[in-house]
Amino acid sequence: MVATRSKSLRKMWGQATPYLLILPVVIYYAIFWVRPVIAVIIGSFTDASGVFTLQNFVMVFSDENFWPALNNTAIIVLFSVTIEFIGALFLALLINRKFFGSGIFLFLTLIPMALPAVATGAMWITGLTAHGWINSLLYYLGVLAEGEKIYWLGGIEPNPTKLLALVIIIDAWQVIPSMMIILLAGLQNLPKAAKEAGYVFGGNFMTVLRKITMPMLRPTIQTAVILRLISAIQIWLIIVLLLGFGRIPVLVERIVYYHEEVPGLNISYQMAAGYTIVVSTIVSLTALVYLRVSGAFKKEETA
Amino acid sequence: MKKKFTVLFVVLVVASMLLAACQQEVVEEAPTTLVFSSRLFSPPAEQEFFINEIAKPFEVENNVVINFQIIDDQTLLDRADVQQNTDHVTTDIVVAHNSRMAEWIENGWIEDLTDIVAGWKDRTFSEAFVENTNKDGKQYFLPVGADVYLLLANNKALPYLPDGVDLDTITWEQYAAWAVAVAEGEGEGKVCITGIPAKSWVYMFGGTALSYGAGFPDANSAGALDAWRVWESIGKAEGFVPTVLNIDSCVDPMMREESWLTVFHNARAGQVYASNETQFTLAPAPTGPVGTGSIAGVSGYAIMKGSANYDLAVKFLEYLTRPDIQVKLAKGTGGFIPPVKEAMDFLGDEAIDEVINKAVLVLENGVVSGVPAGNYQDWGAVKACFDDVFADTILTGADITQARLDEAQACIDALLK
Amino acid sequence: MNRKVNKKIIKAAKDTVFYLFLTTLIAGMLLPVYFIVSLSFLSTREAYRYPLPLVPALKTDFELTYGENGYILSVWDRTDKEYQTVLDTNEVEKMEVYIKARLGTKITQEEIRAEIARLENSGQESIFFTKPRSLLYNYDTFFKVTRDAVPALIRSIEIAALTILISLSIGGLAGYAFARYIFKGKDALRFSVLFVRMFPGVAIALPMVFILAKANLYDEPLGLSLIYSVGAIGLTIWITASIFMGIPKSLEEAAQVFGGSKLQAFMRVTLPLALPGLAASAMYTFLGAWNETVAAIILTQFKPTFSVVVYQTLLGAQGNVNLAAAGGIAMALPALIFTFFLRRYINQMWGGVTV
Repeated sequence: MVATRSKSLRKMWGQATPYLLILPVVIYYAIFWVRPVIAVIIGSFTDASGVFTLQNFVMVFSDENFWPALNNTAIIVLFSVTIEFIGALFLALLINRKFFGSGIFLFLTLIPMALPAVATGAMWITGLTAHGWINSLLYYLGVLAEGEKIYWLGGIEPNPTKLLALVIIIDAWQVIPSMMIILLAGLQNLPKAAKEAGYVFGGNFMTVLRKITMPMLRPTIQTAVILRLISAIQIWLIIVLLLGFGRIPVLVERIVYYHEEVPGLNISYQMAAGYTIVVSTIVSLTALVYLRVSGAFKKEETA
Repeated sequence: MKKKFTVLFVVLVVASMLLAACQQEVVEEAPTTLVFSSRLFSPPAEQEFFINEIAKPFEVENNVVINFQIIDDQTLLDRADVQQNTDHVTTDIVVAHNSRMAEWIENGWIEDLTDIVAGWKDRTFSEAFVENTNKDGKQYFLPVGADVYLLLANNKALPYLPDGVDLDTITWEQYAAWAVAVAEGEGEGKVCITGIPAKSWVYMFGGTALSYGAGFPDANSAGALDAWRVWESIGKAEGFVPTVLNIDSCVDPMMREESWLTVFHNARAGQVYASNETQFTLAPAPTGPVGTGSIAGVSGYAIMKGSANYDLAVKFLEYLTRPDIQVKLAKGTGGFIPPVKEAMDFLGDEAIDEVINKAVLVLENGVVSGVPAGNYQDWGAVKACFDDVFADTILTGADITQARLDEAQACIDALLK
Repeated sequence: MNRKVNKKIIKAAKDTVFYLFLTTLIAGMLLPVYFIVSLSFLSTREAYRYPLPLVPALKTDFELTYGENGYILSVWDRTDKEYQTVLDTNEVEKMEVYIKARLGTKITQEEIRAEIARLENSGQESIFFTKPRSLLYNYDTFFKVTRDAVPALIRSIEIAALTILISLSIGGLAGYAFARYIFKGKDALRFSVLFVRMFPGVAIALPMVFILAKANLYDEPLGLSLIYSVGAIGLTIWITASIFMGIPKSLEEAAQVFGGSKLQAFMRVTLPLALPGLAASAMYTFLGAWNETVAAIILTQFKPTFSVVVYQTLLGAQGNVNLAAAGGIAMALPALIFTFFLRRYINQMWGGVTV
């Protein structure tokens, strides 16, 4: 009797362990995060006098900037996450070869990630302006003739495609290192034996990568991509730094716009709340789809 | 390895906490601290001047420490919101822009200074800003650092100046013709305006409109239409710098010589002028049929409700608004206009006095308007109505039509409270 | 013998190509950084020249002649390759201020007077002289204007360290649970902890500040660490979980077989293997806390963070882009030092660990 009871207790205890380990997080979020979020959710479903309404979402969806913002965000996410993943994986595999000097090489590649916004802002603004360092460099290299200039951020004729491409490149430049360190951390623990076996059985670099390294790296890749996906959808700062509000609208930029640029409008709070809910819905749906497709959930169940 | 990491980490945490604890003790022994949060005097050189030349004498005399902090208007309001609503009022004096003063007054976050001002007999605040600083006959803000718009030209543009034009009496049509001549001669537009939305285009255009007898902010009146025509002629000749949509302040493009011509904020014009006096020419803003129009901006000192150092704050404001101190401050900070009438007696004949004098000429003899931001839900949104006309019509070289202007006016009027 | 030599040559050639490739890659990546660093050493005048000088000057060449208002001071312009007029004045003090502030060059009033005397005694139209640049002028100015930079710096390190401590301990535990246990609602929970990052932070920054201010954490470094940990925990959970998953459970079990407790097995075997992942999360957390300004400005008054004092110095830095560059670099340096020490944990040179 006593023995079985203690056994079942221990079993219960064993089942409770994961929940206990997660409990601190839940408490933490409950104290600092849940209340403001609920306030925003309520705010998005009420009008200025606190009455339930769906009008806020009607306003968001009929906002002339909503669809361009959604479109721009989608383009940025699609290209930047792809480019960043390939770049980050390439660098991580390279550094993981542990050649002489790879530690210093790693440090150098991490520099863009460590720069604060004030430095990156100054860097790109002084670079991309007509009399900036990029044009200066091209002039010294002989690419630009005297008096010839490239208007990187657009001349008189607005060219959204070019601007989006620039934003994607600049974003990738800064973000690749942060994605790379996750992948690199994951690569550390892959048993060398498996990889070596792959080569022994006649695999070349690509087949070993595809058949052995990538599958073993899967949890890390999922983490790196999902984290990047989430923040890529919420990109805004670099765009506002370079172009101000409204020229290339993106989703989170709209929230900031109503919070900080025009906070006084009668509809500012409602618009910001509405956009916030719409954005978080879009982000979570995208994340969910990615996790399902990449098999993050399925795999664990059987693990 | 793990141990080393942990040890390093623990040492780091403990050391920083110890250091923080030591600091706290030092802070507690210090004399009274007066917290002064300002949107004005943000350029580093101006900050240095304010701290060393203006605040220091007061600190020494009264055994206080002035905690001087630069913060933009919106953050200043957010901060006040938190401080007022959680009973942690730590800021004593705020300096806000006149386009945001109404929010401060309406929220009831600042003290009524009417009686205090009445006790000061040696200074008369300029009437131009009463609309913003006062409400219902009560004075909340004490004006400081006023600005009007001045014309600043790179000397490289002077050869293109149309014959017989005197820069001191240049008209808007002549300015436009000059800009067009520069663009044709150089093969590239050289006029700077702030093309990034919600910056100062509304004031740049507003000055022109006032010169033609329009009110502010008018978009579609007869005077405004004449003003749009001036800018339309520059746009049609591709007279704006190609990067105009990326410009949030004309200081950098003027210094980089990307742009050669602009009409903007006198203190910022003074700043560029001082960077190389032999390279730039400064003049009053161009004139129109009814005179030299300019929007006048100003900032204002106010005392936070619930300030623990109210008396000291009053004393500091008394000191700061003395005519001689206002002049000293204006001169040391690029050329703001001291909005105290008696201050003019203290002006001399140095180069910086010339900047201030030109600005005062505009303020006294020109057609000047303040910023009626308090009448609108959000002033930034009003600015955007004007920015849109610039971006979709002026810049693209399209014709200004009454219909487009009526649309802009509707955009503005819809924002009325 | 020959074959050995051949092999050596081939290896040397391969190495050369490899390192050339690395150098090109890194040069390309760091080109923008080079320009911002170079900009931080340029004088204000040169920072606004076009084409921009590629390297900071070490000296400034002057020409002094007679002018309408006294003396004309010209400086050698590296862009146009000629002397260009900058001042026409009689006032020695004005010249001194201009040369120091705009040209970032060391000079005293006595030296200027001496040059003027030399011009007048020479009987020539103009004279030339050279003075050394003060390369660190922008950094000097930055730290002169930025008050309390050192206490703010220490405070920021403290806040970042606390944030790492909170998020690694709380988040690491949860990450371990997600990697090692099978339990009901696991996927949903795992997704929910990530939702914190999906909800736009800008929308709730101010309300969170309110909560902390009401909890008497106004102007307290701990308050900021608590805010920063909210975002960092979710990220830490995911990174650590994915790393723990990559460590075979068999290793831990093996350790237990040899008489260790579960905790001991975790401490001795799993934790060291997870170090790269922990280091990566720590780096994210550090940088996030280090660079944050929005909440920090509102929540602090007498105890600002380093990011806040930098913001205050640079808010009005138009016309002073070289100073902004210096401030940006000053702010990046501690983060770079942290990165430098952490990199060895992310990329462990001793490779895979075996029991």
